[in-house]
Order: sequence, then C-alpha cells, then structure tokens
Amino acid sequence: MATDFWSSSHYKRWMLDRATLRQARADDLQYVDDPEYLDFLAIFFANLISRLGKKLQLRQRVIATATVFFRRFYVKNSYCETDPFIVVAACCYVAAKAEESPVHIKNVVSEARMLFGKYGIKSFPSDNSKLAEMEFYLVDDLECDLTVFHPYRTLMTLCGKAGGNGGETEAGELGVGIQDGQRYWGTGEGKLELEEGAVQMAWFIINDTYRSELCLIYPPHLIAITAIYLTLVFHTSTRATIQAQTQSPPTSSGASASSSPPTRRSSRTANSHKKAPQDIVGFMAGLNVSMALIATLSQEIISLYALWDRYREDHTAESARSAFAQGQLSAFGAAGAGTSGKRAGHARSGSVLSGTTSSGGTPTTGDLKDDGAGLAEQQVVTPAFLVHLLLRMREARLADMAHPATGRPMAVNKMLERAQAAG
Amino acid sequence: MLDELSYNVVNDPMRIYRAKRDFARKRVTDKYSILGFISSGTYGRVYKAESKIDRVVHAIKKFKPDKEGDIVTYTGISQSAIREIALNREISHENVVALNEVILEDKSIYMVFEYAEHDFLQVIHHHSQTLRSPITPTVLKSLTYQLLNGLLYLHNAHIIHRDLKPANILITSSGVVKIGDLGLARLTYQPLQPLFAGDKVVVTIWYRAPELLLGAKHYNKAVDIWAVGCVMAELASLRPIFKGEEAKLDSKKNVPFQKDQLLKIFEVLGTPDERDWPGLKDLPEYQNMKRLDYSDVEHSYQNRLAEWCQSRIRPHQGGDLLRQLFIYDPDRRLTAYEALQHKWFQEEPLPSKNVFQSVPANQIPPHRRITHDEAPSMMPVPAANSQAQAQIAQVQAQAAAHLSQQLMGSHPLSQQSGRAGSVASFASLSGGTAAGGSGHPRKKARMG
Ligand SMILES: Nc1ncnc2c1ncn2[C@@H]1O[C@H](COP(=O)(O)OP(=O)(O)O)[C@@H](O)[C@H]1O
Ligand SMILES: [Mg+2]
Repeated sequence: MATDFWSSSHYKRWMLDRATLRQARADDLQYVDDPEYLDFLAIFFANLISRLGKKLQLRQRVIATATVFFRRFYVKNSYCETDPFIVVAACCYVAAKAEESPVHIKNVVSEARMLFGKYGIKSFPSDNSKLAEMEFYLVDDLECDLTVFHPYRTLMTLCGKAGGNGGETEAGELGVGIQDGQRYWGTGEGKLELEEGAVQMAWFIINDTYRSELCLIYPPHLIAITAIYLTLVFHTSTRATIQAQTQSPPTSSGASASSSPPTRRSSRTANSHKKAPQDIVGFMAGLNVSMALIATLSQEIISLYALWDRYREDHTAESARSAFAQGQLSAFGAAGAGTSGKRAGHARSGSVLSGTTSSGGTPTTGDLKDDGAGLAEQQVVTPAFLVHLLLRMREARLADMAHPATGRPMAVNKMLERAQAAG
Repeated sequence: MLDELSYNVVNDPMRIYRAKRDFARKRVTDKYSILGFISSGTYGRVYKAESKIDRVVHAIKKFKPDKEGDIVTYTGISQSAIREIALNREISHENVVALNEVILEDKSIYMVFEYAEHDFLQVIHHHSQTLRSPITPTVLKSLTYQLLNGLLYLHNAHIIHRDLKPANILITSSGVVKIGDLGLARLTYQPLQPLFAGDKVVVTIWYRAPELLLGAKHYNKAVDIWAVGCVMAELASLRPIFKGEEAKLDSKKNVPFQKDQLLKIFEVLGTPDERDWPGLKDLPEYQNMKRLDYSDVEHSYQNRLAEWCQSRIRPHQGGDLLRQLFIYDPDRRLTAYEALQHKWFQEEPLPSKNVFQSVPANQIPPHRRITHDEAPSMMPVPAANSQAQAQIAQVQAQAAAHLSQQLMGSHPLSQQSGRAGSVASFASLSGGTAAGGSGHPRKKARMG
C-alpha cells in the first residue's frame, strides 16, 4: 500500500469533488457575509497548524498530514458548530503518531495554549484529557484512515538527487528507502534535473497548496507535477534555461561537437562528460498526466495566491510579508531568487509567498488588535478578524438553534423545554 | 435559557458536536452479541462476537482504556493502536487478518476482525499435547507457504511485522493462514525517524533475529524472515527452536545483552563468522559476542542445523529452506519472495489452499476455547447516561431532544459512574443484554 496510491484509503475514500465540499460548508455559509471568508479561514487554520507543528518540531510531512486531517474533519463538520482550535491541536497530535514521530500530549497542550493565546483564544483546555477526547472523536470522524499520501514524495522521486543528501533535505522525505516499482504517474524512468533553488520552490508551492482544499480534490502526484510546472514558469533561471532550449535546438554547450543529437532523458548522461542540458519540456510532456488538468490546477493555485495576497498575518517575524507588496507574480520571482538565502532549519517549511524572503520583512504591528473594522477599505483579512468571525458564527448558530423561527430545523423548542425542566 | 446554553457551549464549545456524534454512533453491543472472551494480551482483550445483522462471527479486539484510579479517562490513543488501525485500514490480503471495522466508544477502541478459529500456537499444542505426533510435512509446508505469502504482501507494502510468532499467526476454520497482530508493525517507506527510535525492543525474544540481539540500529524486513524460520522450526519440532532466557531491561530501561538467547542460536547454527556476515563487526554488541564466544565455551560452535533437521524435517528441501531463512547476514537471508520460489514448495506434495485438506477430521485442532472473563469487563455496559439517552430517543425520537439533554446534562465525568465500570463483568453484560440468554454463570466458565 505504501507504494500504491490507487489501493489506498486516501484514493478510495478521500478524493472528493467540489459539490461535496460545497455541501460541507452549507451551514457555515449562513453565518458569513462573504463566502470568501471561509477560504480565508482555510488559509488561517493551515497556517496555524503549521505554526503549532513547528513549535512541536514536526517535520513538514507531519504538518501536511495534520492539515489533511483538519480538512477531512471539516468535510463532515461545520466551523460554526465546533471549536477549530482544539481540532487543530488534535490533528497535530494524531498526525505525529500516524507518521511515527509522536509528541507528548502535554507538549501539544502547552504549545497550543501558548500559541492560541496569541490569537486571543483563552479557552483552550489545560487538561490533557480534553485533547485526548478530541483525538478520539477526530479519529472516528477520519474513519480511522490515518495514512495520507503527499506530493512531496512525487516531487522527490521526480526531481530528487539520486545519491547526495543535501543539507536542506529531510531524510525521510528525500526518498530514502524508495524501492523500485512502477511509478503511478509515468514510466518510472528518469529524473528531472532542476537546480536546487527550483526544487525548493516546487516544494514551497506544495506547502502552499495546503492552504486550500486542493489536497481533498486532486491526487498528490498531480499537485506535485503542477508545482513543478509552476516552478518551470516562474523560477527565473529555470525559465531562462527552458527559453534558451526552446529557441535553439538543445545542443551540448561548450567544447563538444555541435552535431550531437538532441538529448532526451539525459539523466543517464555520463558524469565524465560535460552535461548536456536536459530537455525539460520533453520530460514534462512524457509524464503520463493530463496537461489540461495540470493547467486547471495551476489556475487554482494561482487564485489561491491571489486570495492569500489579501490575508495579513504578520505579528511574528517568520511570516514577514514583503513579497506581498510586489504582487503575486513578482512574488514568485522574488521567492525563486531568494531561495539561496533560506535558513537550514526551516528550509522545508517555507512558502513561496511568505516563507522564503523572511529577511526582508517589514511586519506591521497591531494587526492582532485590529478586529477587522477596517476590512472594507483595506480589502485585507487578518487573523483577529477571522477569530472574531468564528466566534460570531458560533453564537449565531447557537441562537438559531434556540429560535427555530430564524434557524435551522433543530427542533429546539424541545431543547428549550428540556432546558427548563432541567432548571 | 439561552444564557445557560451559551455558557455551556462557551465553556466546552465541542459539546454540541460530541452530543451529535454520540447520538449517531452505533454501539458495539448494538451491532454484535458477545459470545465470550478469547484472550488478554499486552494491549487489550480479544472477544468472540457475532454480528447481529448477518450472524457472522468476528473477533473483537478491545484496547485497554487508560485509567486514573477507578475513573476511565482519555489519555491519548496508544501508538500501538494507531499503528494497528492505520495499517489495517490500508491493507487487504487473503493471508492477513482482515479488519472489518473500528468502533470508538466510551473511551475505548474496538477493532472488529474476521474470526480465525485456530492459530499456530494452538496447532502446535494440539500436536504436542493431544495427538502426540508431529505436524505432517504437507501441513507444515502449507502453513509455511501461506505465512510467507502473507508476509510477502506486507513486505511489498513496506510493512515490517516485527512480532511474528505462533500466537500471532491465525488459521481460519477453512484452513487459511492469516497473519494477525499488527500492533508492532511499521511502515518502512520513507520513515521520518529511524526504526529503532520508536521501539527499543521488537520481536518476542525466541523469534528475534541475531542482528536485533546484537543491537543493530538499522534493520529491515529480514527480521521477519528470521521469525518465519523460527516458526517453521517450531511447527516441525513442536517446541521453540531457540528457547532462550530473556535478560530483562535494567532499571534505566537499557536494553541488556541477550547472551542466553544468542547462545541458544549458536548451539544450532554455529558462531557467526565475519566472512559470512561482513556487517557483524559493526554491531554494537559485537565485542560482547566475542567475549561470550571465548570465555563461556571452549570452542566456537559448529553449525548443526542439518543434524537438527534430520530427525524433524524429513524432506531434504524443507531443511534447505530453513537453512536459508536462518542465514546470519540479513542482506543474504532469503526474502519472502525468494522463499516462496524455493524448490520445496514446487515439489510434491504441493502446498494446499486449505492447510487442513490432508488432515482427517478427527485430527483437526479443536475450536478456540472461549470463557467468560471475571475481570472487570472490557466490553461496554450501557452506562447510566446512555440508558437515559436510549429512553429519550425512544420517547421523543428526536435528535434535538438528545442534544438538549447532553447540553443541559451535568459534567461528563459525573455521568460516568465508577460503579458501572468495575462491577460490570462480562457475564453480567451478556446476562443483561442478550435477548434470551439469561442465567449465564457469573464465574469463569468454559464454553468451548
Ligand atoms: N481474528 C481473530 N480471531 C480469533 N482469535 C484472535 C483473532 N485475533 C486475535 N485473536 C486471539 O487473541 C490473541 C491476542 O490477539 P493479538 O491481536 O495478538 O493481540 P495482542 O496485541 O494482545 O497480542 C491472539 O493470540 C489470538 O489467540
Ligand atoms: Mg499478539
């Protein structure tokens, strides 16, 4: 199973369509003025999982698994009827176990309390058993499907350096122990030779996709290939290489004879010779995936960035947002150019939009205290606004349950009778 | 009114959610009638149960809930349970026990497995105690073949079992071998942490591979193959081939040098040689092993496996397979795939789909014994609050009513009476809930 996505619970039970996801938000939609707010919530909570994950020193893959758990949970539940904060903590706690790198429940509780406190959430229970209880319900809602596939694996299989373990890489995610066997998306042959910075950028794009629900809709290998595709377009020097290739027929540069035939699948190029540039476009075309799908997915990722562009979360240094000022496309460029400066410890958790250019950040303070009053003018959404929104949603939901005339068919008159009887 | 409601919800915002879930949840005893108790192990208890829907018999493994004093509380699902659940949800193979469903209820986890009437341990006992005759070569071959076949599936899925032993290898009444107990199993595909980091000790000592005994930090599927060798030898001789004494962890939980177990292995297979096993001298316990070799015995041991096999595994090819399962160097030890290709499996008699095919009816091992367990039952008892729930549901047949009841109820812990948990023996449960089955004896009683 570990090699076979097509027989996994992920593929068989958790590839969902748009209609299902729309249905999942139906209740929440009643309590927001703008449906977009729900997409901002998706960004906010993915960021929160990532933050908590880093505090707990979880690897990127564990964070990704936690995020998928969170998304799956909210396919079955509504924000307005739950407390997403304890769900976030439980997702991290379970994901760490599911990925065989457990953390102590005590640590999860204390880190979560500390982190959520910064967002004004004071009610997170200090009692371990409350988190454990949430874990229990979460695992039930996840239908015990705890093995999740991620695009990182495809990325590293397609682009990973065969031998050398770069300092930036996470051992487990680099394909250590990859056994031979059919790849599920292509011929299983060859590697795409991208520069380090480009692979990093693709990795970051993958990180970023977890801010949306794409991980519920598309199989991970498609997301990986789309991330590579976007990298080819936006990574400055890689794009230059491709442009050079497509403008003149690929020849080995330098001293070698100009009559050499165009190289395909040049991964077998002998080390002793000067490397001929790989036919990247040819490699991509050779993958057994629908390019139309990749184009659609690219569009979706780009619109995620457009949305994200209007989201500000800058009370900590690591989410410095200098890239925003430059707009999304230049942000790509900046990220691509900036990848060489990443810090080793967090290299794998970076984001194209915010993570890579942390050095140039100009965090604006005070956003946390801003309760969103100025939203209309700024067209920007902040965590404080979203936290406030969540609270209002929950209150409104509760009120609806208490007053059937205004609300959903919850037979709340019965509930009130009972409440009265209970004193 | 609303104030009180919102007070509850603000204090415990997940209350509505839980009430809904609890209400929708099917309880174990709604779906299954418990027939009896099978076994109690490290992580929990196993019960025999019958589906109320289709009458099919299952084995239900209940993980021990954690307790603080007398009160059962949530302390987090154990790594072992998460593992067993996560892996079982992904796999499906004829020779691996199938997980039908998982029920989470009342702070406990119930895994519902297909039922297997026998297991290797029981077959071995049956032959050594009752029949007093060896397992026939045909049956031995079929058991070994199907075991390897299930193992090949696991290994191809990058799962190491890490606890293969007769008690964990089951056989259905139709004679199909089923590997069970994935409680120690692990995915080896791109692990985020090295295998040894999680679990200091793996595999029951008699079945533990030499590289593990010598402290290897990096090990692989070959540890399962060694265990298969031990199991095959045990089937052939009806007693464990390497029956060593386990040196216990010291007070600091350091893993001690397993001298006795290694000696038991050396007595049969000889002392391992660096020439045959190049990685040997890099193993942490290598020096200990050297010392053991020269101080405890006069001369190093010779390989006597052929001699061992002579009286036990008659066909020459069976002995050869065993020899190759017991190759010291894990990298040269047979893989499950190679083992299945072995000549022994190609020559007559061929392994059969029903391992008991050639066995006369009166020699087939008996059915699993089940008992009523006396210990505080691990099976759920309709607790005070859930009975109330049931009544409300009956009278009002409305989810909302239930919801309000939950919302207005007292603190969850106070609803959980310690009394219900400790008195509820298994017998009282079946007496109380089984449709017509009153008058079960309360004391431990054999049923099978
Ligand atoms: N599917 C099953 N059918 C019948 N008996 C089973 C089944 N699964 C387990 N058992 C019995 O229960 C015992 C313990 O189960 P196991 O899964 O090995 O749990 P543990 O982790 O406690 O060892 C087994 O040795 C076997 O006797
Ligand atoms: Mg067992």
